[in-house]
Order: sequence, then structure tokens, then C-alpha cells
Amino acid sequence: MTLVAGLRAASYGVPFQPVAGVHGSDLAILNGWRTITDPYGSGKEVYVIPAIAPDIAVIHAAEVDEEGNARVYGSPFWDHVLTRAAMRVFVTAERLVPTDVLRQQPELTLVPGFMVEAFSVVPNGAWPGSMHPYYDVDYPAVEAYMKDEPGVLEAHLDAAPETKDQKQEKEGRQGGSIRDRS
Amino acid sequence: MNFEMSTWTPSSYIIVNLARQIRPDEIAFSGVNSTLPMLACLLAKRAYDFRYTYINVAGGVEPQPTTIPLSSSDPAIVAGSPAIFANQDFYDLCARGGLDLVYLGCAQIDAEGRTNVSVIGSWENPRVRLPGGGGAAVMLPTAKRVVTWRTEHSTRVLVDTLDFVTAAGNMATLVTPLGVFQRDTQRGARFRLESWNPVVDIAEIRRQTGFDFDAPDATPTAPMTAREGEALAQLDPGGRLAGA
Repeated sequence: MTLVAGLRAASYGVPFQPVAGVHGSDLAILNGWRTITDPYGSGKEVYVIPAIAPDIAVIHAAEVDEEGNARVYGSPFWDHVLTRAAMRVFVTAERLVPTDVLRQQPELTLVPGFMVEAFSVVPNGAWPGSMHPYYDVDYPAVEAYMKDEPGVLEAHLDAAPETKDQKQEKEGRQGGSIRDRS
Repeated sequence: MNFEMSTWTPSSYIIVNLARQIRPDEIAFSGVNSTLPMLACLLAKRAYDFRYTYINVAGGVEPQPTTIPLSSSDPAIVAGSPAIFANQDFYDLCARGGLDLVYLGCAQIDAEGRTNVSVIGSWENPRVRLPGGGGAAVMLPTAKRVVTWRTEHSTRVLVDTLDFVTAAGNMATLVTPLGVFQRDTQRGARFRLESWNPVVDIAEIRRQTGFDFDAPDATPTAPMTAREGEALAQLDPGGRLAGA
């Protein structure tokens, strides 16, 4: 919540964001968060969280078109605020669709292409996490990865869809840089 | 698995007693890593005759999931929702005073309902680094009532002094496998024992609790009703989550 407040400050273009609550938490001391008194006279003291502007946001979308317009089904979680707060936005997506598909329901497009610097089509790219509505969490893979043993990381990487797709990769994955920001 | 009305499992005791905290017409919310409250909210829909609104962290509003996932933030728990109320929406709703009942987890809790989900040991030299509060520091003081639960009732969880205060505020209820504690949501108010699981007695609960508490009107916890048992059996066939 305080993290969202910091991201919001960046997305609103202001140096800090007031946030409710926090009173009584050691997190305020730990992070050096300050309070301000309502300048409009209510007397309320409110914590203000400094802006957090990530250099790069990478989000995994359901569908993307050649312009980088990215569609997310279901709950967007933090995708919206992250893409607005970051300086640069990269998108990975389950599949490439024609722009005409997005035109039919533009309200499903979470990130307009003009904000997206580069995209890549990465089927199963959220593995071992879930990607609504395509696939659920791969719990056996998560449990295998959590073991504190030698070779676990290597085995995990070997099982990743990107590794399995390496052959395909050589033939050329869809996507790439769509605009030069320099 | 049949859930007998007279015999609780530790999990079924927690789930049903969490569900019993919901009041008519409230808006209740369950978050991440909150499988037991998620089941409690779904159970209340089936077992009680009043209306209330259930929102969950995956954005579900009045969800009607057909299967109960292991994770309480799995998109599956949005299934059947007529609306998506996303992360920032429900945080904002809470911040402006619109959430009546919020289920928030804790690693340690003290007698005044303050929680630690940050660190065991000191921040600079931790013995265990915990996952952090999520929205706890904002939600605990701004929700009208907060309910928490622990599957372990011990002196290392229910403590006199927290290692770190992640959040403080409107904690109202603590449910463990041994009992249900309540406190008034005002500064300085302490937990009192409201009821206990008949598998133990108050003296045993005192031995397992790191803070002092009063128990002026405490009674044995009312047994699971037939409707609560039926709802739990429907939601968790086989007792994968509530059977332990």
C-alpha cells in the first residue's frame, strides 16, 4: 500500500503521495517517512511517501499486437500503476494478435502501445506462476524449486519454457523493439 | 470427509470461528496467503441467512469459485464475479473507511492487537526475515475491524513484546486452534478470551500465551452447526484444507 503510494506519486508526477494509516508502525521510522499536517485546516496528520519511479517495468500480458498494445484478462493486480510509474515499459505476452482484435474491445487494453518500448511473445512466460485464463500455478515445479539442494536452480532453468523453446528461438521469436526513445 | 458437529480439527475450528465474525450487511475482505479466511468468507455465504459482501485480493467481488485453490490469490477465486475490484481499488476503499471487516495475517501478535510480519530478531540483525506487511500498516488502522488468525498458538506467536511493530490499529479478533480472543478497537484496549476450544481449558491457554489476558465472560466455543458443517464439506470435499 505504501509501495503503491510511492508508485502513484511517480505516475502523478508529484514528489510524494499522502497515504492513510501507517500510524503506530515501526515501518515509518525504518523508512524515514514523514508526516504533514492538512494545510486546509482539518488538523489531521498524514504520512507522505516519496515517489518511486522504476527505471523499467516488465509486465506479462495475455495478448499484444505489433504496436505493443497489451491486453490483460481478469485482475490486473499492479500492472496499471507499475506501467504508469516506470520510465520505460517492456511487455511480454502469451500471444500476438492483430490490432483489429484489440479494436473490438479497447477497454481490455491495459497498456496502450505508445507507452511500450519493446515487447516479446513468450508463451508460458509466467511459468511456474499462473496466467489467467491460460494456465494455473505449476505447484510441483514451485515445490521442486524451493528445495535447498545443489542443482535445483539449474534443473529449474532447464525446465523453463524459454529453455525448451530455445530451438524455436533460433528460428526467430516474434517481437522486438518497437520504438527508440533516445 | 464429514465434519462432525462436536469435533473440531484445528483448521475447521479456525475457519468456522473466522466466519462467525462476519455481521449482516458488512463488506468483508480476504487477502494473500489467507486460505482459511477465504474459506470462512465462502462458508458464511452458505451457512448464514444474512447478506454481506465478500471481496478478495484477486479482485473478486461476490465470487462463486467452483474449486478452491491452494492459494488465496489464485485467479480461480475470481470465478463467477460480476465485477473486478482490483488491488488499488480495495486498498483505497479501506483507506477511506469503506471496509468493515478485513482479515489480516500476522507472525507475532501482542495483547493490544499490534502485529509483526516483518522480522524475528532485530531489523539490523534478523534471525528470520519475514515477507512484510503488504498493506497491513495502512489497513490495520483504517479498516473498521480487523480479524487475524494463527494456526500455532504458542508463546512465540502470542507475545508480550513484538520484535517489530509492522502495524497497529483496529484489531478486533484473534482466532487460534485453542480459542477466540476479542478486543475493543480503541488504543490501549487488550484482548480478552471470549471462548475456548473444549479440547483445552483456560489454564492451558494461559500457559501457551505470552501475554496476560482477562477472561471475564469466557465460555466453551459453541459447537459447529449442521449448516456450518455442510458448507465446509461442500467447499472442501475430502478435507484437504479443513481436515488438518
